[in-house]
Parts: sequence; C-alpha cells; structure tokens
Amino acid sequence: MNIVIKDLRFTYPTGLEALRGISLTIAPGEQVAIVGQNGAGKTTLVKHLNGLLQPTQGAIHIGDWDTREHPVSKLAARVGYVFQNPDEQLFSRNVGMEVAFGPKNLGYPVEKVDALVKDALALTELSDKTETNPYDLSSTWRKMVALASIISMDTDIVIFDEPTTGQDAVNVRRIASVIQALRERGKTVITITHDIDFCAENFERVIAMAQGQILLDGPANEVLGQEEILATTYVDPPQLTRLGLRLGLKETVRNQDEFLTAIRK
Amino acid sequence: MAIVTLQNVTYKYPLTETPVLQNVNLQINEGEFVAVIGPNGAGKSTLCYTLAGFVPHFFKGELTGTVEVAGVETHQSSLNEWVLNVGLAFQNPFNQISGAKYTVFEEIAFGLENIGVPREDIRPRVEKALALTGISDLADRSPYSLSGGQQQRVALTSILVMEPKVLVLDEPTSQMDPIGTREVFGVIRTMAERGMTVVLAEHKVEWIAAFADRVVALKDGQVLLDGKPGDVLTSPTLEEAGFGISRYTSTARKAKEMGLWKKDQLPVTLEEAVEGFSLTPSPSPKERGE
Amino acid sequence: MNNRLSFFVPIQSPLHALNPLTKLALVFAMIALAFFSFPWLAPGLVIPIFIAGLVGKVQNQYFFVVTRLILPTVAFMFIMQSLFLPLGDVTIFAFWIFDVTRESLQAAFITVSRIFVMVSSFTLLLLTTHPSELMTDLTRRGLPPQFAYVIISTLQIIPQMQAKAQTIIAAQSSRGLDTQSTFAKRVGALVPLVGPMVFGSLVEVEERAIAIEARGFTSTRVKTSLKDVPDSRFDQILRWGILVIVILAIISRLWLS
Repeated sequence: MNIVIKDLRFTYPTGLEALRGISLTIAPGEQVAIVGQNGAGKTTLVKHLNGLLQPTQGAIHIGDWDTREHPVSKLAARVGYVFQNPDEQLFSRNVGMEVAFGPKNLGYPVEKVDALVKDALALTELSDKTETNPYDLSSTWRKMVALASIISMDTDIVIFDEPTTGQDAVNVRRIASVIQALRERGKTVITITHDIDFCAENFERVIAMAQGQILLDGPANEVLGQEEILATTYVDPPQLTRLGLRLGLKETVRNQDEFLTAIRK
Repeated sequence: MAIVTLQNVTYKYPLTETPVLQNVNLQINEGEFVAVIGPNGAGKSTLCYTLAGFVPHFFKGELTGTVEVAGVETHQSSLNEWVLNVGLAFQNPFNQISGAKYTVFEEIAFGLENIGVPREDIRPRVEKALALTGISDLADRSPYSLSGGQQQRVALTSILVMEPKVLVLDEPTSQMDPIGTREVFGVIRTMAERGMTVVLAEHKVEWIAAFADRVVALKDGQVLLDGKPGDVLTSPTLEEAGFGISRYTSTARKAKEMGLWKKDQLPVTLEEAVEGFSLTPSPSPKERGE
Repeated sequence: MNNRLSFFVPIQSPLHALNPLTKLALVFAMIALAFFSFPWLAPGLVIPIFIAGLVGKVQNQYFFVVTRLILPTVAFMFIMQSLFLPLGDVTIFAFWIFDVTRESLQAAFITVSRIFVMVSSFTLLLLTTHPSELMTDLTRRGLPPQFAYVIISTLQIIPQMQAKAQTIIAAQSSRGLDTQSTFAKRVGALVPLVGPMVFGSLVEVEERAIAIEARGFTSTRVKTSLKDVPDSRFDQILRWGILVIVILAIISRLWLS
C-alpha cells in the first residue's frame, strides 16, 4: 500500500507551524526511519498517517484512501501505530485479551482474531505470557505487549514512535527482530527514533527532519554520513560511521560488517 | 574512606517470591563515581532505592544484611533523616516535579523549606545550585513549561541544593532525547569534577566510560563484575551475559580476532577506537588479493 | 505548554496586598451575610463585590468570569426555581402547567443572589491571591502541609491529566476503538480509556511520593518558607472587624424574626 504525502502543512491551534511543506512517497514494504531533534515535526508528521491529525493544507493518501475522508478507527485497518508509552494503552486483564483488542475492533471473525493474536504473540516472544496481566510484567515486556497489540491488527503499514527509548540491549535486539520479521512479510515500517545506531542497523531509508521540513531523505548510507547537515538537527552519525569518518575511510559505513570490510581495504 | 557499605544485602519486595538483590557486597569511597550497569530487571533501581533508604522504609519488604551510609545503619534511621545524607533522582523527570510550586526557583527551594532551612539561607543556596547546574536562566519559568532535559536538570538541582553526602541517580537520561541526554550529562560531569560521591545507574556505556572511576555490573540481583571502567566495560563476560556494550568494543573484539586490532586493551569510546585502529597498518596489495 | 495554571492575575493592588487569610475571611463573611442574615441583604451585597473587583484592578477578568460562567448558571437556576417553587398564590403569569407566583419569583431572586455572591467572592479571591501564597499562609497557621500540597498539586496537574487523556484516546482509536459514533459505542469505550488513566495515575502517585519524600517532605523539622507572606496590623484589625459585623448581622436577624 502506497503512502503519498503532498505538500503537507500543519499549524497547531496555538499558531505553531509544525509542518511546513512535506512531500513524500513511501512504497509498499519500505523500512523508513525518521530522525531529528525534538520539535522537528516527526511525531506531527506520522500522526497524519492514521488521521490523528488532519492537514491544514495538502493531503495524505494511504493506498486509495484520503485520510480526511476516514475516521482514525477505520484507518486503523491500514495503519498500525505503536505509541511510545505502553502504559498509555494497556488496560486488559491479560496479555491475550490486550492483543486481541485491535483485531476485534476491526471486526475480524473470531478464528481470524485468534490466529492473528497467536502469531503476534509468537513474534514478540510473549507466547508463554498470554494469561499474565500486563501490569505484572516488567516495563520491557509491557513494551512488547504494546508492539504485539498493533502487529495483531495485521496492517500493511506499521508506525513505531521511539521504540527503543528506555529499553535495554536485549530488548532492543528483540524489537529489531520484530521489525526484521515485518520486513520479510512485506510490511511498510516507519519508525521515529533518536537511537541512531538502531536506525543505522535496521533501516534502509532514512529521513532527517528539521523545523517542519525534510532535511535529508535517501538510502541510510548516504544520509547518515552527512555529519554536518545532521548536526543542524542535533543528530550524530552512528558510532561506527563516526569512527569510519575519523579514520578517513572512503565509503560511509554504518554497521560492523561494513566497517570491518572497509578497514581491510 | 568508605562512605557507603553494603554487606550481604538481600532484598525481597512484598508479595514477591524471588529476591531482587541477592547477597550484594559493595563499598564506595568518599568522592568515588560509581556506575551501575545491567539489563532491565537486574536490580539497578532496587539498588538505588536501597542506597537512598526507600528500601526498606518506603517499599517495606524483607531486607537482610547491612546497609550503612556515613556511619549510620538503615534500620536505625528513619527515611526523613536518611534522605539528608543520600539524594535520589530517577528516570521520569515529569514525576519528579513536586507540583506544589509555580516557578523553578520555588521548586528548588521546596526541599530546603521542608527541612526547615532559615528563610535568609534559602535564596543564596538556591541561587548557588542553579548556577552550578547552569539553569539560572530557567529560574522564573514554570517547571511544567520545560523540555524533558530541562525538567531533569531541575530535578537534579532540587536534590543537589540539599547538599547530600551521596548522590544516587537512577537512569536519569533513559527518557531523554540526545539533546536532553547531553544536558543532563553536563550536570553529571560537573558533579564528577567536584569530587562528589555519585552512584549512577545507566545504560549509555560511552558516557559511563567518560566519567566513572568504577563500574559495577549487576545481573539477576547479583554483582557480576566490579572494577575499572576499561576492564569491566570491555570484559567478554558482559557481552555473553546480554549487557549493552559499546559498538567500538564489540567491533574491535571482532577485529582483534581477524588481526586488525593490535592493542591488548579494547576501546570503549570513539577516541580510544580511533587511536587503536590508527595502529592498524594498511594491508599490502598482496593481502588484499590484488 | 500551559502556563496559565490558575486564575491568579499577577499585578499589584490593595486587594492583592491583603493577607490571604483576611481575604478568605472576607469571602466567608460575604457568604455568611448572604445566607444567614436578612434575605434582602443578599442582592445588596453585589455592590461591595463590584467595588472590590475595581479595587483589585481585576474588573475585566471578573467581568469575563461573570458573563461566561456565573450569569448563565444563575439565570438557569432562576428559571428553574421560579417555575418549580410551590410558593404563594398570586400568579403573575401562567403557561402550560406552570404558575409563576410573586413569592416564587422573590424566593428565586434571593437564592440566585446568594449563589452569585458566593461564587463571585471566591472568584475575586482566586483572581487576587496566588494559590501558593494562600497555602503558605494557611500552613503557617496550622493547616497540615499534606492538605495544602494536595490542593496545589491538583490545581497544577489538571492540565497535565487532560494532555494524558488526549494521548490515551489517540492510542486507543489507533487500535480501531470507535470513540465517536454512537452512544453505546462511547460507553463501551470507557474501560479502554479509563483503565490506562487509572494505572498511569497509580504509577505517577508512587513516583511523586518518592520524589517529594527524597526532598524531606515528611521531615519532622519545622518547615520554613521561601516567601514571607505579610500579615499587617491593618489585616488583623480588619479580620476582627469582619467577625464583629457578621455576628451582629446574624444576631440582629434572629432578634428581629
């Protein structure tokens, strides 16, 4: 399902102009990371994708739907949105029911709901916690429940807002593997992140935003090597990219394999 | 001289089966900067609460062994006397704002009012603390109008102004964006430079390497490693136990196996990595297979 | 960013300069006079209230609150009272099943005057008194600090709670929850909306308790305060004066009736 954003502008009721002309196409199955300092407009932009915000000017199309013509609860069938704080959405008695909430809202038949829930739980390594109350889980596992409760909706597009904030190394790897699995299923994944190393290792396309506009948009290797431009939106290149730049490597590297290959040359 | 001593400390929260801390022994000297690392659930927060007296005084539960700070044992003290010796700041900056005050200046004065500091002393102490953490320009703002990084610096200042002997920081940057992280670590750097006794639970290894005199690695409520940052943070044990380690370390370890890293010591920071990899000679054309 | 967390208008005026307890005493005196003294006194009290608004230099803000909030409420009550109070038999006009009598109109007028006086007095208090000044002063006079803390922090946290509620609604509607279309669906949406709100509050309350405890909130030492809230000789005399007037007014009413 294509995402087409055309000259999007958005001004908050307070008069703050948060988006100042964004045009963007995201093809089905793309893995896109959006980076940039707080206030750059990242969250404001993705909130337009499932209708949580409506454009002041311009339009957004999700497949053949114009987001202005469908309520959020219907757009939810096409765009899943994992909020940053799991505690702002969990309410069920157990993990299984929590994860079933989304697909049930979408009106899927019972058998389909069951299958989707089972699959989402397996993907997030929660299968043995189906009967547990989400609030008896640690915050890391609650995060995984939040992920599962969106994945179970089986949307073509999945948005993650800061998925790694406050997570430890083990859980960051777990989240990365969920994103990898979604990629293999041909889902479009859009992630807002401050974790630039996570971004470098898991995304092929990177969009850097500043002051409501797109600063850079392109393949990860191209964008993440632009140290000076990224600095204007307070983003440091990934650790190994920085190392490569300091060592004067010719090509931009962003992960261990690329670095080790480059240094041998 | 040891200012903090933990002996055989084991602790269980009420209504739970397994202890969160198991047989923890720890001595911290005056002026030492100790970083505590570990996966979520390893007991970092509980250790912080124990040092700050909230375990057992606030959370109740079962604490065995001895916890001593500045010569006083936790069981012999009350929480409101204990907090005068040990200051605590934690993850969520928003929940650390008291809600009782309308400006940052008043917010920072709150603790001093509570412990009965005479009015004429409050103002100079607050001004001094604001200057120390570099937030004097926020003094008249509402704490609720600030960014996360600014709020966290207000929270740190609110504790610093009380002049505790030991400062305990439980992942103060885990909810921060890169700018907030930098701001908060700026304050932490000031404390390290002033020789304060600091215990910092933190994931961000590169920052730890820059400040800590010592690193304690916790796993399943037990001390796994305890030593110099350069040793602990590059130990293979950490990577095997699932700790987050610096990409410089893991990459250099791989490079070492391939003969591309010549030093014995593995790097933690960018500078160390640049220095080490600069020693790697360019392979001859033959080796490159040309 | 919501910086307007209270009604308070930060300017200087004779009313602002009064001790908070004096203003609180004035408010209760107005209420006592309106409710327990001669009924015809209540409408008359509106005059000193208007004067107080001018003295406090908050007449614009006060006028805004009166027209937007107080008058609509009071007007509604007036209509309801005059229609439903089964008083007297001198019908002024009648329609459908209602008889509006002279007595019911009078009673309704007195009642809404009383309400108007009460709400207006409190409004003026809030407009001219910084909440933390009020609480500091009352705490110094023996109000438990916990009580003062609850009042102030609640006032401050309401806007934050609203923001949180908005996020929860956004998160749940992103999961396909219909919070808008029919009444039944709105009712069904309550649990997924209230659940996270309640749990989040529990976590917040615990963390905030730790945070203020870490700053000596329950210390047994005598608290001090950053700000000095002046209590002048004039304030003290005024408070005694108010007390005497109120007592005299109530006694004379009991005496005459």
